[in-house]
Amino acid sequence: MSDARSGPDAGAVAPPAADADSESSATRNAGGDHESFHALRTLLVGQEFDRLDAMHARLDDREARRRDVAEVLPHVLLDHASDPRFTHALTPPVERAITASVRQNPGPLADALFPVMGPAIRKAVAAALTGMVESLNRTLEHSLSWRSLAWRVEAMRTGKSFGEVMLLHTLVYRVEQVFLIERPSGLLLQHVTEGEEGVRDADMVSGMLTAIRDFVQDSFQVKDGEALEAMNVGGLAVWIEQGPRALIAAVIRGSAPHTLRTTLQGAIERIHLEFSDEFEQFRGDTAAFDGARPTLEGCLHTEYRANAGPNHRTLWIALGAIAVALMVWAGFSLRARSRWNGYVDTLRAEPGIVVVSAGRRDGRYAVSGLRDPLARDPASFLAGAGLTAADVDGKWETYHAAAAPLALARARDVLQAPEGVTLTLNDGALTATGAAPLDWIAEASRLARLVPGVEKFDGTAVTDAAVRNLMNEAQAIVPLFAKGQSTFAEAQEENVRQLMARVGELARAAAILRQGFRVEVIGHTDADGVPEANLPLSRARAEQVVQLLTPIAGARLEIVGIGVGSDDPAVTSTLEADKQRNRRVTLKVTSIPATATSRSVQP
Amino acid sequence: MIQKKICMLGTFGVGKTSLVSQYVRSIFSDKYLSTVGVKVDKKEVVVDNQRVNLVLWDLYGEDGFQTIQQSYLRGTSGYLLVADGTRFDTLAAARDLQKRAVAVVGKAPFVLALNKADLEAEWQIDERTLLKVADEGWTVVRTSARTGLGVQQAFDLLTRAMLEQP
Ligand SMILES: Nc1nc2c(ncn2[C@@H]2O[C@H](COP(=O)(O)OP(=O)(O)OP(=O)(O)O)[C@@H](O)[C@H]2O)c(=O)[nH]1
Ligand SMILES: [Mg+2]
Repeated sequence: MSDARSGPDAGAVAPPAADADSESSATRNAGGDHESFHALRTLLVGQEFDRLDAMHARLDDREARRRDVAEVLPHVLLDHASDPRFTHALTPPVERAITASVRQNPGPLADALFPVMGPAIRKAVAAALTGMVESLNRTLEHSLSWRSLAWRVEAMRTGKSFGEVMLLHTLVYRVEQVFLIERPSGLLLQHVTEGEEGVRDADMVSGMLTAIRDFVQDSFQVKDGEALEAMNVGGLAVWIEQGPRALIAAVIRGSAPHTLRTTLQGAIERIHLEFSDEFEQFRGDTAAFDGARPTLEGCLHTEYRANAGPNHRTLWIALGAIAVALMVWAGFSLRARSRWNGYVDTLRAEPGIVVVSAGRRDGRYAVSGLRDPLARDPASFLAGAGLTAADVDGKWETYHAAAAPLALARARDVLQAPEGVTLTLNDGALTATGAAPLDWIAEASRLARLVPGVEKFDGTAVTDAAVRNLMNEAQAIVPLFAKGQSTFAEAQEENVRQLMARVGELARAAAILRQGFRVEVIGHTDADGVPEANLPLSRARAEQVVQLLTPIAGARLEIVGIGVGSDDPAVTSTLEADKQRNRRVTLKVTSIPATATSRSVQP
Repeated sequence: MIQKKICMLGTFGVGKTSLVSQYVRSIFSDKYLSTVGVKVDKKEVVVDNQRVNLVLWDLYGEDGFQTIQQSYLRGTSGYLLVADGTRFDTLAAARDLQKRAVAVVGKAPFVLALNKADLEAEWQIDERTLLKVADEGWTVVRTSARTGLGVQQAFDLLTRAMLEQP
């Protein structure tokens, strides 16, 4: 069995296997003389062995293999260039190589691409410029015409900006016809029109358009892809977007926005995508492109004028003006007087506004008085009273009203309360509630009394909240200790840093508020060991933290160390991880009543 | 409907515009208005029960100053070569144009129209020359834009040849 296999295998590729097998078969035929067998074998297949050795050597020689592969590789690639598997296999490494090359030094690739990209970029820039110049021309054209005057009136009437009104009137266009023209024959593939009327001989127009384009292209030596894109025929513009097999020509009345270009581009691209087979097989039968009509019809944009013709508008304005004049003439004296009285009454009732005098002066209504800067603008009541700013002459001196809503508004303005703080004003007392940083509270209590209308500031609630917050934050941090040691456990640096930061803040708060705090530093141990040993250990742990906190405590923090042994564990458990949670120091922060503080600070 | 582009090729004044005008509108004028650039016309015809719209590109004739722009020829299905029977050298010009047309559109069908057949007295192209041309496989039709002789026939032959084209 094994011999039968080893024969052909050895001949083909694997002489070592043949050796091994031969040996084993030799051992099995133990009666034979090993040496003579070897001699016989050398005699029979010695030459093959030499050849095999040579082949081996060749396979082991990397340099030779490299040469071999280099010799055949180009041929393989050339012969199988159209094999999709090659493309498939080569794409990812080539892509990666290009990416890497660009990342390393974009220069060479940019140089290689420039001849391709350059014209494309130039074309894009040129197109953008043309668009800009077009709109600029329109602006200039219209800024000095009789029409622009009418538009200015309209702008005033409608409250729109002049530019907006102008755009409204100029960006009106109609794509009247769209041609789909085959290239390069100029044959008309499809033709759609807006409405009934169209050209009778669309196919001739199509041919002429193409001839003109050819002419321009040849005469001005423009490169392919930079062909004529627009022409003007009488009042019509023809915009052309071309693809490799066909082009779209849109006949436009009026001035179309530049976005229409994008529409046309999209349409020609879509048609190329959908009809690539039809283009390939085109022999003059245009029916194959009937399916492109919806796409072409999609280009028949129309943008109507916002209003009817300018004549109507002028008429309306004139009629309106006459009507208003009549109304004013008829009802002015009566209605205006009652409106005026209503206006003055509203002002009198408004907090922060004191009307000193009101009446008619030089044919106009005039009102004067005092106004708090935070009161509502007297002019803002005009509309409600049916008056306009032109009707009334208002003269106002600034004063600070003590009226509660105004004082509160002013306080809000001055104090700039952070989010989460609510200010209320009652009998001159400004109360802050909610959550705020202590700095703001301190600043607010200083500034509040300077605000007109505020007599005192009550920050107790907001201060209490802030202090409680600080105390809780400090108490939430629990540093852990090494087993049986008064040194911190591993990886407690951040925890300790946090603890010191919080206590530092508390010290700062104490200083700002002139308020004393007592910080009890309580050392704990796990339940292992005897109380006689645990108690001193817990004390030592507390002492360790006290040492750290004392320098940052300041004058108003009283830091006290206590050891409680294992009497107050965080968890009751025999698991090592849980025991570690018990080897800790906790804080207990309490505020010292004011009297006590003053005693301790000023002994 | 099938659309086909046909170009009119020939040197100046041979009657290209006149032939188109006679073919499309049955009008002839003695006035010579040399064509500038291209004039596109069309004619709907029925050949072998098939309606075809011929789009005729009447190109300007070459003279000493301007040669035909090759781009006008692109996409054409066939062309009518026109020579003036009263001017011998227009035939050579037609041959030259034909060669250049092949370079642009390949083996597109064409018909040679020997125009102004009504001017027998001034005729310069004898039967021998004509036979030689026909021997080369060219289709030759004597036409007169003035009388309409052979005009319809020339265009019909060309249209048929174009439709036979794959
Ligand atoms: N008698 C006669 N005159 C002709 C005929 N065809 C054209 N003509 C005249 O020849 C002159 C030139 O004719 P066109 O048709 O303008 O020639 P064309 O080839 O278009 O010339 P270009 O446009 O300059 O290349 C005109 O005066 C025509 O009246 C014809 O069949 N018989
Ligand atoms: Mg002509």
